[in-house]
Amino acid sequence: MAALESPLPGTPTAMRNAFGNVLSVLILVLIGVLAFSIRLFSVIKYESVIHEFDPYFNYRVTQFLSKNGIYEFWNWFDDRTWYPLGRVIGGTVYPGLTLTAGTIWWGLNSLNIPLSVETVCVFTAPVFSAFASWATYLLTKEVKGSGAGLAAAALLAMVPSYISRSVAGSYDNEAVAIFALIFTFYLYIKTLNTGSLFYATLNALAYFYMVCSWGGYTFIINLIPMHVLLCIVTGRYSPRLYIAYAPLVVLGTLLAALVPVVGFNAVLTSEHFASFLVFIIIHVVALVYYIKGILSPKMFKVAVTLVVSIGMVVCFIVVAILVALVASSPTGGWSGRSLSLLDPTYASKYIPIIASVSEHQPPTWPSYFMDINVLAFLVPAGIIACFSPLSDASSFVVLYIVMSVYFSGVMVRLMLVLAPAACIMSGIALSQAFDVFTGSIKYQLGASSNSTDDAEDNTSTNNAPKDDVSAGKTDKGEEIVKERSSKKGKKKEREPADKPSVKAKIKKKALVLPLEASIVALLLLIMLGAFYVIHCVWAAAEAYSAPSIVLTSQSRDGLHVFDDFRESYAWLSHNTDVDDKVASWWDYGYQTTAMANRTVIVDNNTWNNTHIATVGTAMSSPEKAAWEIFNSLDVKYVLVVFGGLIGYPSDDINKFLWMVRIGGGVFPHIKEADYLRDGQYRIDSEATPTMLNSLMYKLSYYRFVETDGKGYDRVRRTEIGKKHFKLTHFEEVFTSHHWMVRLYKLKPPRNRIRGKAKKLKSKTSSGLSSKSAKKNPWV
Amino acid sequence: NPKSDSDLKNELVSLRSTAESGVISFNNDDVSKFITSVSTPRPYSLIIFFDAVHLHGNSQLRLPEFRREFRLVSATFITNNNNESNGTKLFFCEIESTHSEASFRRFAVESLPHISLVSPTTENLTESDQMDGGDFTGLAESMAEFVERQTKLTVCSIQRPPLISKTQIGIIVAIIIISTPILIKKILKGETLLHDHRIWLVGAVFVYFFSVSGTMHNIIREMPMYIKDYEDSSKFVFFIEESEMQLGAEGFFVGFLYTVVGLLLAFVTNVVVRVKKLDEQRMAMLLALSISFWAVRKVVYLDNWKTGYEIYPYWPSSWRG
Repeated sequence: MAALESPLPGTPTAMRNAFGNVLSVLILVLIGVLAFSIRLFSVIKYESVIHEFDPYFNYRVTQFLSKNGIYEFWNWFDDRTWYPLGRVIGGTVYPGLTLTAGTIWWGLNSLNIPLSVETVCVFTAPVFSAFASWATYLLTKEVKGSGAGLAAAALLAMVPSYISRSVAGSYDNEAVAIFALIFTFYLYIKTLNTGSLFYATLNALAYFYMVCSWGGYTFIINLIPMHVLLCIVTGRYSPRLYIAYAPLVVLGTLLAALVPVVGFNAVLTSEHFASFLVFIIIHVVALVYYIKGILSPKMFKVAVTLVVSIGMVVCFIVVAILVALVASSPTGGWSGRSLSLLDPTYASKYIPIIASVSEHQPPTWPSYFMDINVLAFLVPAGIIACFSPLSDASSFVVLYIVMSVYFSGVMVRLMLVLAPAACIMSGIALSQAFDVFTGSIKYQLGASSNSTDDAEDNTSTNNAPKDDVSAGKTDKGEEIVKERSSKKGKKKEREPADKPSVKAKIKKKALVLPLEASIVALLLLIMLGAFYVIHCVWAAAEAYSAPSIVLTSQSRDGLHVFDDFRESYAWLSHNTDVDDKVASWWDYGYQTTAMANRTVIVDNNTWNNTHIATVGTAMSSPEKAAWEIFNSLDVKYVLVVFGGLIGYPSDDINKFLWMVRIGGGVFPHIKEADYLRDGQYRIDSEATPTMLNSLMYKLSYYRFVETDGKGYDRVRRTEIGKKHFKLTHFEEVFTSHHWMVRLYKLKPPRNRIRGKAKKLKSKTSSGLSSKSAKKNPWV
Repeated sequence: NPKSDSDLKNELVSLRSTAESGVISFNNDDVSKFITSVSTPRPYSLIIFFDAVHLHGNSQLRLPEFRREFRLVSATFITNNNNESNGTKLFFCEIESTHSEASFRRFAVESLPHISLVSPTTENLTESDQMDGGDFTGLAESMAEFVERQTKLTVCSIQRPPLISKTQIGIIVAIIIISTPILIKKILKGETLLHDHRIWLVGAVFVYFFSVSGTMHNIIREMPMYIKDYEDSSKFVFFIEESEMQLGAEGFFVGFLYTVVGLLLAFVTNVVVRVKKLDEQRMAMLLALSISFWAVRKVVYLDNWKTGYEIYPYWPSSWRG
């Protein structure tokens, strides 16, 4: 294109364009390296391990996929989790992440690069964060040009909110989903700018990939209809808008329905209804515009009345059907999490499990400073820059920032969706600011020399950006210009009057700022950027790199490592039978299945409230009642996490209130009041007898007094209430080095219990008794 | 002169009629006046909700929620006992800790939520009937059950007001039906406010300000705009030190700091650049840069004060020595 435009290859303009393109590519490569490298602190400081809880499940699924292939993966029924219910894996997971990692692993092994599945899983997130940076460049470039694109990409590579979900080892859905989200938006805007059906098809495919990857895909299928509706309402309808939207809804919904975990939810849940309504509206509008083109004004009015009336009737019918569907569902068709966004107080009222997750809490203002740092200051400038001038693409980005910042205010986890929008807006703001300040400096320096040659250089410099733009899209630019001119022609006479005055202003004086003020402003912006870099590196290195499976603390002697979790899972793996069942709170379910390879009762996929409540009830009950519950579930070992010795606050005693509430929500004989003293959960001498007799208390504090003679709990900062007690139905089999994980074995039933059990069984049906006889190996 | 029982009762009725939802606000003097100074048996019972504004942010206590439910019970009781005899036998009151610490001690309130029933024969306030912790789980219904159990008075079923009344729904539907054709016509002509870019610009910036201020946190946790100082009740506290919560005024102030920097940057790059006189440009830029610098520094300082986060620059080891 450059050659076509400028037949002389040696001209300065052509050289500058070529150099600019090469420089952009080089910068993008460096940004990718940066995005990858900044996420490696966890691997460098600890080792290449999977983090937290959910990623272990994803890793285990990927292992299964790589061994057994994709068809076995779809049909996989996992009997090692949620015992005795089990779980259909293929139909309940978002397969995007595991299929992506599995494909990468398969591809590398095909090339004889023998990486292990775990290695591929650990590094999937950093790799895709580089891809996300490049997608951000493409998206922002479509909105405001290459400069803004590069700035946004650099900011996204380092934004702490995104780092928190994509460090090496955090193998979770967001690792690939954020890339898919940004790429889908890029293709939507690309289609909007070009009117190309090719990009519309790619858009549907990208949306499909997003649906495969994360439940947050509902954000896309709600945001894009909002943008379409916004364009229609503000009089910006165009055939390009139709091409951008209609194929996405049709193909996107069909493809989404193919994903087993979504299935018919793609057409039945309220999250998707907005897209269908807007689909109808855009067809009505398209029909109106079409008729307007072929009919006389008088006939057009009649036709518009007819079309709009029919359209309204259809809309009302569809709304009535949707309302009926919604009314038949107790939650109105929305999932619990969506309701938490629409009604911020919903979760705390009705769903204790959702409210108990820390990432579902509303953030305070320090959260924004931590997660997007200086971008919080720059976003308003980006919003204003998008309005000058407002285009279809920039209006989409404004809508994206507005919706995501609102949702991030309700649920802190959605800071993750806000981060790309903040980076895009800040990139646009920085790019515009740098253009103005550097342009001013250049102009002022040139003016001071009063040289004719310098003046000519300035003139060519001012024209350079335009040349870049036109060079990039010659044909498309012409089309856009034509469309814009036609629109302007349709509008009123005001604009022709405005044009000359604007031109006159431009001619009168170049838009520049004083030299010294521009320099100071530039320096301050650079300092702001430096602050951002320092903060992001600190966040990556200190705040977000810990695997949580290995804990550390800093002391005078240096770094102290607590490896109790892996120690305990290794003990389970080596000292128990493969078919033994392990009961614990759901936080540790994924790790137990993945690292210890043992069957668990509940895990982090909190899909069955009753089952979790059963475990919660057992933990809250006295020893004998708990034993009976666990025995009926064929549990052989109970795993308890206890942080009282070293001060680890995320232990089971601190989670005990949720066991009581969730258990009590299903089994009424568990009453929270029985565990409260003056409205508080206490474990000291003032604790209630119910608390001191609960299984959780006993398993946590069994023999704890032996550690220091007083039984001082470093998390609760008090001495425990009941110090010397014996276990009657459970036997301690393992306690980790720092007492963080404690394992207990169910004792076989005593003779008197056997007698009682026999009597009890005679009262039940013969079928039940036979089942229990089979299940219970202790009888 | 000690007032007669009927005078006290009439005064309580009068206070209730002007109180929101009929919940009378008590302080130390009122406790003395209506409870401890009146000889038993008193002609009325009092049920008292103990509130502490500075604990509203604690989501585990759920004080704002219980307070709301308490008022609902009060309103329901008044509605269903509008006759003279039963309506004057029970009064709903609340005591807020910042005003009435002495009363908290007299009732031996050690933890919240706490609801006490002072029956006509109660002499020692520490022995007044207390609502059991488990009763709080059912909220208004449990409170009503507690009241009925202790006083033998009837509250009847709790009437929760609908978000939108039927009349309002009808009006809204009518407005929608009437205005839809008009709106469509205006949209087609491109004459609505929605076509003005400035409306969208102001709206977008406002939503941003609203969100980064942590306003949703204030709404969900029902945080007050400010609280009074513990030691000096004439002073107000606008910032609290806990990093996991914030006050309303605090959030808005920081949200303003977040927003103003971007607005000033946009002002410089879009407006000041068009000013003709260099001196005016210098003055405007100096002002914008100063305010922006101050705002950023202020946020950094407040964040450090609140969360302890500091800038940790990394230097090569060889430079450090």
